[in-house]
Amino acid sequence: MLELKNIEKSFDNVNVLNHVDFSVEDGEIVSILGSSGSGKTTLLNIILGIIQPDCGEIYFDGHDITEVSMENRGFNIVFQDYALFPNLNAYGNIVYGLKNKPDISTPEEVQELIELLGLKEHLNKNIEQLSGGQKQRVALARTLVMKPKILLLDEPLSALDGVIKESIKDKIKQIAKEYHLTTIIVTHDPEEALSLSDKVMIINGGTILQYAKPSEIINAPSDDFVTEFILRQLEIKRNNILALFGSDKAVVV
Amino acid sequence: MIKHKVSPQKIIIVFTGILFGIFLLLPMVTILFKSFCEDGNVTFKFYANLFSDGSIVKAFGNSVLVSSVSGVITTVLAFIPAYAINYTNINRKIKKIISTLIMFPMLLPTITYGFAIIYSFGNQGLITKFLGGHFVDIYGMAGLIIGYVIYTLPVSFMLINNTMGYIDKKFMIVSRMMGDSRLKCFLATVITPLISTLAVSFIQSFTLSFTDYGIPAALAGNIELLSTRLYNEMLGSLPDFNTGSAVSIIMLLPSILSIILISVLNKYNIRYSKISVVELSGNRARDIIFGLISAVIILCVLSVFAVIFIVPFVEQWPYRMNFSLEHITEIFSDDSLMSVCRNSLFVALLTSVFGTLIVYGTALVSARRSEHRRYGKLPDIISLITNTIPGMVLGVAYLLCFKGTFMHNTFAILVICNIVHYFSSPYLMMKSSLEKLNAGWETTARLMGDSWIKTVLRIITPNAVSTLFEVFSYFFVNAMVTVSAVIFLASTRTMIVTAKIKELQHFANFNEIFVLSILILITNLAVKGLVRLFAVIQKKKGKSI
Repeated sequence: MLELKNIEKSFDNVNVLNHVDFSVEDGEIVSILGSSGSGKTTLLNIILGIIQPDCGEIYFDGHDITEVSMENRGFNIVFQDYALFPNLNAYGNIVYGLKNKPDISTPEEVQELIELLGLKEHLNKNIEQLSGGQKQRVALARTLVMKPKILLLDEPLSALDGVIKESIKDKIKQIAKEYHLTTIIVTHDPEEALSLSDKVMIINGGTILQYAKPSEIINAPSDDFVTEFILRQLEIKRNNILALFGSDKAVVV
Repeated sequence: MIKHKVSPQKIIIVFTGILFGIFLLLPMVTILFKSFCEDGNVTFKFYANLFSDGSIVKAFGNSVLVSSVSGVITTVLAFIPAYAINYTNINRKIKKIISTLIMFPMLLPTITYGFAIIYSFGNQGLITKFLGGHFVDIYGMAGLIIGYVIYTLPVSFMLINNTMGYIDKKFMIVSRMMGDSRLKCFLATVITPLISTLAVSFIQSFTLSFTDYGIPAALAGNIELLSTRLYNEMLGSLPDFNTGSAVSIIMLLPSILSIILISVLNKYNIRYSKISVVELSGNRARDIIFGLISAVIILCVLSVFAVIFIVPFVEQWPYRMNFSLEHITEIFSDDSLMSVCRNSLFVALLTSVFGTLIVYGTALVSARRSEHRRYGKLPDIISLITNTIPGMVLGVAYLLCFKGTFMHNTFAILVICNIVHYFSSPYLMMKSSLEKLNAGWETTARLMGDSWIKTVLRIITPNAVSTLFEVFSYFFVNAMVTVSAVIFLASTRTMIVTAKIKELQHFANFNEIFVLSILILITNLAVKGLVRLFAVIQKKKGKSI
């Protein structure tokens, strides 16, 4: 279990995070939902260990890891732009970490991951030859080879379009379930957050507004902001789509 | 996160700080000190002496005049081929040829230009003969201006061509649609966004001319310039180091001013949010006119250099014009000349290897995101300072600072002087290229168990290879052609080609001068060719996988 206690962070006297307090259960998918400037990326960086909070503590499985360095926390991240290494092919990227820690995954486990993410026929491809979805899956595989204790995903779907988006969503869910992997996702898209996660944390101005299951957020928004900006957006989207299909079908759906 | 181990980034910065502390700060302080002190007392005597007879004012005025005229002519001339490349539908291959050939003068030392001009436009010159008469007196203003224009044309062209490439040409269509006349459209969509670059081009060309010694060494005649005055104060028949230091400081001031001006002007650069690819309207007359003028400009530049390839290959210019390899074989069997060539090659190689390493190390710290990035301010500042210091001033400062120390008369001092002198451009080149690489690589690799060094070797370097080679060739070519700084530092034991050319001038050994210049040219072309070849191989390798 990951617990954050009373985390605060300021940059140049601007308060970015205020009294952030929450916990994530093992194997859960949690989305941190907020617009740009809400503090969500700072929060992600604090969990990962890139930056230190000004005050507050972070516990993982009961141990205080606030002062533990990024590489010793054992978490891992897939960046929004994937940060794949272009001088290596897809396979070279996937097994990158094995050069440093040869025993972390067995060859069978690596093969299993490649199968799971459907990358078998792309292994010898150059990074530039891969589509957005393939890049995302290579980056996921590269990270999963390291067997992270927590998987962090920074806007994992924002660079993808349409159908690919849905298939990557399924893959993320499948991975979390199969490996019982705690997954924390940062996103600005309410639809993404609510349809992908077990729990959603809505953050604005550095403060957590609501942290609950998607159904609770829909049915019992805690705050005007949640109603105005999150639910309203979804409703407009729903109405537009329903209008497209005609109102008869809308009732059926 | 909390580690007490000394990080490699810190080591790089401390090393750089010490290096530039000793070889930039110390010499510059020395020169300032020297110009204001005598026997431990502060004095304005040396400045007062300089100004009392008015000669320094005259020299300064001459330098300003000739550099300004050159700056204007260069900027106008450089605009034309840049326009031909960016705004006409000339065949792409021809554009490539234009932009390659116009860079040609950069591969030769400025001191060669001077002698090439003498042999082209002088009484017995190739072009004089070709045109059937003597029409310009090259010893003096005219010669200097021709030399400076040839010298600064490549830099000016690069600046203008670069900005033009980033001008959004869609605005031309908008302007015409709005009913602007052709002239108004040209002024609004081409000239206006270029204005600050044109000004920068003028200033850059001015500063290069103002501080160059190679061209006046051959062509100044009776006109005294600041650069020739400085040379004579330091290495003339009556050397006076204190007065020389004062002249150096006077030379330094316009350089500092121009760098400040350039940085202000760069802020006024119009930035387009994006560059759209636009089909340029067809206009054959425009294409032909700009293509032809560009060709003429390039031909003029190249024709001046033609003599280099002719004079040493005839029996006795201009009287016995039979083809002969006599001079060539003579020169190649002259051991002292060949050892000078080897010295130049040696200095250029060391300069480029160590220069590239230092530039790469410092740019890694300042360009890549990490907790050490703030240390990157130091190389930024060093780059700014080195950019303002003319080669001659640096050379004089080294002479004053290291005379009598173990550094004096060594190859090391030449190499270090070159690295310090040319640090700025390759550093900025490297930094901007590293900034463009994905910012998440280090963090990602670190999470996979890499140390910083390992990431640099496994990931950053393979992706920065082409810039590394560009930086390497920049250092190499400049180390081969530089005159101004090393002329004060090369000794009999460490004589390099450009300094040797200056020496050969006394004996009017023009065959030697031209053959040595050809050797410099060939070496530079070979290095550039190798770098180009390597870039092509890299590109192919990238595609074939």
